[in-house]
This record gives sequence, structure tokens and C-alpha cells, in this order.
Amino acid sequence: MAGSALKRLMAEYKQLTLNPPEGIVAGPVNEDNFFEWEALITGPEDTCFEGGVFPARLTFPSDYPLSPPKMKFSCDIFHPNIYADGRVCISILHAPGDDPMGYESSAERWSPVQSVEKILLSVVSMLAEPNDESAANVDAAKTWREDREKFNDIAHSTVRKSIGL
Amino acid sequence: MRSGLIGIGSLALSIGVVANAYLQKKQFYPSVVYLTKSSPSMAVLYIQAFVFVIMMWEIACKLFFGTLRAAEMEHLIERSWYALTETCLAFTVFRDDFSPRFVAMFTLLLFLKCFHWLAEDRVDYMERSPLISGLFHVRVILLLTVLGCADGYLINHAYHLTLNKGATVQLVFGFEYAILLTAIVHIFVKYILHGIDIQSENPWENKAVYLLYSELVLGFIKVVLYILFLVIMIKVHTFPLFAIRPMYLAIRTFKKALNDVILSRRAINNMNTLYPDATPEELAAGDVCIICREDMVASSKKLPCGHIFHTSCLRSWFQRQQTCPTCRLDILRPPTPSRPTPQPQPAAAADAPQPPPFFPGWQPPQQPAVSTTSPPPTMPSPPPSGAAPGAATPAFMMPPFMMPFSVPLPSPPVGFSGLSDDELRRMEGDERQAVEARIQVLRNVHTLLDAAIVQLNQYSSVAGPPTVSSSAPSSVATATVTSTQTPISSPASQAPAQSAGPASPEEGATASEPTSPDSPSSSENSEMSEIRRRRLEKFKTETEKPETTKS
Repeated sequence: MAGSALKRLMAEYKQLTLNPPEGIVAGPVNEDNFFEWEALITGPEDTCFEGGVFPARLTFPSDYPLSPPKMKFSCDIFHPNIYADGRVCISILHAPGDDPMGYESSAERWSPVQSVEKILLSVVSMLAEPNDESAANVDAAKTWREDREKFNDIAHSTVRKSIGL
Repeated sequence: MRSGLIGIGSLALSIGVVANAYLQKKQFYPSVVYLTKSSPSMAVLYIQAFVFVIMMWEIACKLFFGTLRAAEMEHLIERSWYALTETCLAFTVFRDDFSPRFVAMFTLLLFLKCFHWLAEDRVDYMERSPLISGLFHVRVILLLTVLGCADGYLINHAYHLTLNKGATVQLVFGFEYAILLTAIVHIFVKYILHGIDIQSENPWENKAVYLLYSELVLGFIKVVLYILFLVIMIKVHTFPLFAIRPMYLAIRTFKKALNDVILSRRAINNMNTLYPDATPEELAAGDVCIICREDMVASSKKLPCGHIFHTSCLRSWFQRQQTCPTCRLDILRPPTPSRPTPQPQPAAAADAPQPPPFFPGWQPPQQPAVSTTSPPPTMPSPPPSGAAPGAATPAFMMPPFMMPFSVPLPSPPVGFSGLSDDELRRMEGDERQAVEARIQVLRNVHTLLDAAIVQLNQYSSVAGPPTVSSSAPSSVATATVTSTQTPISSPASQAPAQSAGPASPEEGATASEPTSPDSPSSSENSEMSEIRRRRLEKFKTETEKPETTKS
């Protein structure tokens, strides 16, 4: 079980380095420990997050891939599906059985078929299209729904902050 | 740097204090007495002792662990807070024995506990890191040996003290070290398992199983130890409040281990019996196992949906969930309908309360003979006209009336306790299958009710002159019960004992309610027989109706 978690993470790391998907960089923080990853996600084009580079931390459980990893942005990001502390709330990161928002069907949940790459791609699409029905950050969801301009302004400022301007 | 300064400062202070005492008293013994009598010098010496403990800690850490990782440090701090609070709680229990020696013992205990936690974290780290150096192995083995010896020695010490001096605080220490010893054994087992796993090229399939079982066994020992401790402590001292949290945790871990073992066994069983091994052609065609992303080699299984996985990967996944990882097909559901059904069946049959053989002619329905899934058997034919109330038949005519009962009744609507989670889930949704399952159960209920009504009709007609006094029945079930009950019970004059008798399984709930209004108090026989007749006629129409709807 354990050795297989390590092997799988190494395989995924190799895969991500050989064929990196566009706009995503990810790898272990420290090659001694493959269970802590750092990822850099660029904001998808033609959205209010365009041009930003957002760092995130992925923490894998020792029974990965049977249980999902946890993902947390290490920068400030104002988004309906990201908790104020940076934790990402998307259904594929939830193990079947725990449902913080109480409506996800088990078909959208974590399964060993998912991978780091798929998670990161889902996060990119989540940045592009927030799901305001299951808001992790209610303020952000409200702003997104009612005052899109203000939301875009905040997003632009996080983008500028993320690239150090 | 700062800690070094503090250490040097404390050392200088204590040297100063001791030198001062010696200069004043000139001799060894009087200066010791002087030191122990003077509070400031004792305070300085205590601080010195504390600094020594911390220095020892640093040295031992360097020796056994090198630098601590951030996660280890975090665990350590988190756990030490709990340990500290519990130690303070323990102090309150043993406040009579409170002495520097006692504090020292507790410090040692805390010290050793910390090392046990760190050792556990270290060994767990083995399965996370790709490179494990020789130094790591040397350190872990050395640490485990030292800790094991220390635990053993201290248990022995506590045991002898308790034998010689009776129950004291040593009881707590002995017990704590016993728990720590089980922890060491557990860590050691884990270490060996991880070690074997690292040595082998391919992931070792059975490691998870061995880990599970070792956890189960050691968890059980721990729980037993805690319970023993609790009992002894309550006997000799008071309730050991400080042991409650670890005890709860131990019980929870044990419960989880037990659960895991059960699930794992079930998964293994399913693996071995349900799914075919993948053929070599299929292995060649499929590229990698989606769970571990390794090439398909030997020992793979094919699920009903056609997806192929390594046996070991699939097994660990099935411990969590019984779905195909790729397409989420519920593997216990449609393709293998034969498997889940036989399981709940005997349970349901056992669950259903068998009516007591109260009536001479009563035969318990042969439930196992009929399956829940088969279409409801045709309704037992409505009672022959001879059973009509007008022509109440004497008791010796019974055998012919028992005829309909030889028709096997459908098994009772399995109580929900008898249904497996899976079956419940199947009934829950609103897809076609679920609706059908629900209707099936309702039909079974219906058939049973019908059969019961027919039966009761016959009992009542057999049991002699009607003596009922009640208003019109509110529901079919209550009515049947009341009407049969009263005629039987009044002649025998033991109504309470019999009230539950004639109720067939699903009527158990309703059987109790009609007794109060219908107690056979009145003697207006003619009126009652009239009511009864009407009621029985109603039943006849009731029993005939469902048949038409069903067919």
C-alpha cells in the first residue's frame, strides 16, 4: 500500500515533467518527501485571473491514490470555491462519503483514476468558471453573482500581487 | 545560541550555590543539609535539573533522529500538550505522594513517551521517502532497542515495587510503560514490514494485510490493558480521569482496525470468488493499472465492466468502496444479482419473529422456500363460504380450513434491519429499479396481510360464538386482530397473554393497540355478533379486492 503510493507519486511526477500540461508546473517540494508537492498554476486566458501565477501546496495521504490529496493555495485568492485560508473546494478532491456542501453526487468524487494533473486542470477550469452554487467563500460567491465588476477588480489585484507587482 | 547561554548561566548559578554552601559549612554533610533547607538554592538546583533534562533531550535527539522534520515537530508538540495536561490530572489524583522524585518519574515518562512518538513517526516516514540510508536503519534499530529495554526495566521496577509496598503511583507507571511497550512492538512490526517492502522490487501485496492484523492484535492488547488499569485504579484509588482520553483513543483505534479487517476480508473474499483473473491477452492489451500506474503484469482481476486492475490495488480500493474505480459501476449490484440476495435472505428469515405456535393448527409459513424476488405467490383463495360468520363452524371442522395455509406465504417484508445497506440504497433512489424494489416489498406486505386476514377469519369462525364489542374498525389489520382475539380470549379468560398470539409478523406493531377499546367487558352478545358479521363481510371484500388489482 505504502510503497505503491510512493511509486505512483513518482510515476506521476515523471509524467508531469515529461509532458507538462500548459500553464501548470508541479513537483515535490523536496525530493526526500514525495508527499508534499508545490504547484504553480497560471490563470486561464480570457478570464479575470489571466496572467496570474498562483502557488499552491498539495499534501498527499499515505494511502494515495485511494484517498484524495489536499490542496491549498499559498497566496491570497478571492474565489467562490476557495476558502479564505486557501483550501480548494472541488468535488474531485472529496473522498466519496464526505460531502462538505451536501449535494455532490458520488460520480464527481475522488477515485484512483484521478491524478495530480487532472486535479490541477480541474482547478484551472474552476478558476475560469467559478461554481457559485456550492460556495466555499460565500463573500466571493456573492460578489461574483451580484457585482461582477468588483469581483474582476479584486481578481486583477490578486493577479498583480501574485506576479509581484 | 540563546539556549547555550541559558545552559551556561544555569550551570554557573548552581556551581555558585553549591560553592557558597560548601564555603559556609566546610564539610560535605552540613552543606548538603544547608542546601536542602534553603529554598533559593533548591530553586536554582531544580532549574539546573530542568536544563539537564533539556540537554539530554537535545543529545538524544541528535543521536537517534538527527534533525527533526517539521511534521514530526508538529506532532510532537501537539501530543505533548495532551500528555502534559494528563500528567497534571494525574498529579491531582496522587497529590499525597507529590515529591521531587515523583515529578522526576513523570518527567522520565514524558521523555520516553516523546521518543516513542518520534520513533513511530520515523518508521512511518519509511514508506514516504524513496531513499532510506543505512544510518536510518541503525538509528531506528538502536532507538527501538533502547526504548524497549527501558520500558521493560521500568515495568519490572514498578512490578516489584508494587509487590513489595502495595499499590502506589508505581501502578500508573507500570501500566504506562506496558502501553509504551506495546507501542514499541507495534513500531517494530511496522519497521520490519516496511523493511521487507523496501527490499523487494515490486510492491508487496500482503503487507497491508499484515499491517492490519498487527494493528488489530496490538489494539486489542492495549484495550485490555486500559480496561484492566481502569478496574484496578477504581479499586485501589479513584477513577483515573487522566486515562480516559488515551483509553478512548485506544478503543477507537481498535474498533477501526476491526472494521478494516472485516472490510478487507470481505474485499478479499469478493476478489477471490467473484471476478475472473484477467487473461494474458487482456493483460497485453491493457497498458497500466489505473490505481498504481504500473504495468499490467501477473495477478490481475477483471471486473464485470471490463476494467482490469492489479489484484492488490483493487483489494485496497474495495476496502473503501465497492465501485469500479474507472466507471464507478457498483460492482455488487447488477451483474451479480445472485450474490447479494442470498446473504440477507437467511438473516431476514431469522429476524422475522415467528408467531408462537399458539393455535393447534398453526404452521409457521415456510419462508426460506420463497424468495423475496419471486413474484408474489397467488393470493390464498378467500375463505370458503363455510367460514362466513352466519354459519359459524364447530372446532372439529378445522382441518379443511387450514388448507390455504399450506400455500407457502411470501417471506415477510424483510425488516429494515435485515436488509443490507446495499439493498436499502437500491430501494432508495427513484430510478426504475428502485421503484420496482419498493413495489415488490409493498406487494409482499400486501400478500402477507391478505393471508393473515384469511387465516384470522378462519380462526374466528372456528373459535365459537362471537363476543365482540367495538365500533367500526379503523384499519384492516387492527380489525382482524380484534375480531379474532376477543372470541378466543373471553372463553379462556386470559386476554393479556393471548393478545400478541395471533399476530403474524408484520402485525406485531398493530396487535397491541386494539386491546384497550375492545376488552371483552360487555355482554350485549346479539349486538356484537351483528357488528362482527359486518366486519367479516368487509374483510371478504377487502381480501378479494387486492387480487383483482394484482392480476
